[in-house]
Amino acid sequence: MKKIIEIENLSFYYGKQQILDNISVGFGSSSIAAITGSSGSGKSTFLMIINRLWEELNGARMSGRVSLFLDHEKLDIYGRAISLSWLRRKVGMVFQIPNPLPMSIYRNLALPLQMAGMKKKDGIGQKVEMVLRQAFLWPEVKDRLRDDARTLSGGQQQRLCIARAMILQPEILLLDEPTSSLDEKAARKIESLLLVLKEQCTLLMVSHDQAQVKRVADEVLEMDGGRMSVLN
Amino acid sequence: MTRVFDFLLYVFAWLCGLILVGAFGTFMVFLLTQGLPALGFDLIFGGTAIGDALLLKRVVSDGLLPAIIGTLLLIFLALVTALPFGLGAGIYLAEYAGKRSKSFFSLIFDLLAGVPSIVIGLFGFSLTIYLHKRFTFLTPCLLISALALALLVLPYLIRSTQTALEELPTTLRLTSAALGADQATTIRFVLLPQAAAGIFSGIILAIGRAAEDTAVIMLTGVVVSAGIPRSLFNSYEALPFYIYYMASQFSNQQELQQGFGAALILLSLCALLFTLAWLIRKKVTARLLYHHH
Repeated sequence: MKKIIEIENLSFYYGKQQILDNISVGFGSSSIAAITGSSGSGKSTFLMIINRLWEELNGARMSGRVSLFLDHEKLDIYGRAISLSWLRRKVGMVFQIPNPLPMSIYRNLALPLQMAGMKKKDGIGQKVEMVLRQAFLWPEVKDRLRDDARTLSGGQQQRLCIARAMILQPEILLLDEPTSSLDEKAARKIESLLLVLKEQCTLLMVSHDQAQVKRVADEVLEMDGGRMSVLN
Repeated sequence: MTRVFDFLLYVFAWLCGLILVGAFGTFMVFLLTQGLPALGFDLIFGGTAIGDALLLKRVVSDGLLPAIIGTLLLIFLALVTALPFGLGAGIYLAEYAGKRSKSFFSLIFDLLAGVPSIVIGLFGFSLTIYLHKRFTFLTPCLLISALALALLVLPYLIRSTQTALEELPTTLRLTSAALGADQATTIRFVLLPQAAAGIFSGIILAIGRAAEDTAVIMLTGVVVSAGIPRSLFNSYEALPFYIYYMASQFSNQQELQQGFGAALILLSLCALLFTLAWLIRKKVTARLLYHHH
């Protein structure tokens, strides 16, 4: 299988504390890879290295090589000058706590497109409807698109956040424990959504829930003491 | 012991609130009883027909209309001048400044906020004298007053913008960055719309400050009787100066009452502008955050 994410000799530090220790690993395309491990083992940091989001935080540094296969081209994302905006549109991210922006449901989805320079006449409305349908949210929100996104339930908010990440048509989607703050029913809906999304992009998911990992993941890795090992 | 302390604190806080509301109520009742009898079209338009005065066909020489228009022009010009700089400096301090430059600029802006308005007026006056040597047509005028007032209200705008942005949760910035937004895009699309309420509070403070200040305009262009200014380079009338003048120079009870009447008009004007600013904020926020566009 073609590797869409290739990581070589990755080490990461917050101040003097080493979080990741010489990790080399690869992930294939159109699959769900799950990363498990105890709290504080560096799983979330690992995700943030793939879209360079850790650079928004102070006091961290890394070494190693991260190559992504994006737009049919293999890119060393730290080795040459690439646009961070472009990279983060290609590598979407969903956080542990649902984080809809404090604005309407519609604006939450339209905003990433507008920030990428898209105009209303380019079909923002159609794209919004499309991703909402894809996230199984359309029937629930179609009559309240102007409502504040924070009025949605936790599960709906998280599906909105996934839809928001997907509206930019990323090639990789990073998910940091996307169901940990949700009840069983809401979590199952997200799982169904992930199984659909893996046909469109590569999913890398951090999860504590072993049963969930078994249900959705094609590949399972474990993070322990800053090192990563493949479980199956 | 803790329960007694809790109770005492509660009573103290409640009393403080009550005393302040009471003081404000007393002040308003006093102002209304003194000023209401003088209020009327005569106070605003004098002997001039209202239509003629509003259409600027005839000069109002014995009413407050020129002072009302002068005050509105002052507020507008001061805000238009100060707003871009206030917003820009606030954004710089909150989003771009490093630790050292932040504390340096904060110190400068705090000093500016602490400068008494009479000193800013003096600065405006000195500037006029200096400029008059090069541009002889330039004398104390509306433009100089507005620029000096802009300097006076600048710290309010800077601080309110900075605080409103800094109070926003980090998750907003991280969420926006994860969606591919660079810093400028995040500020434009995510942070400023969220900070609008705080920024507008600063604008409301600035309106109040620009509307009431007398010291600055006394030295930079206001006069008792000038009519409606025809250009930025004319002297002008303003309500706070009229109030000050009437309070210090009144020759009979009626003139003093007119001063109180002018105070009521100034207060109503401020209330109107605050309401307008609040409505604009509501409209802007709704448009930026909730409408499809």
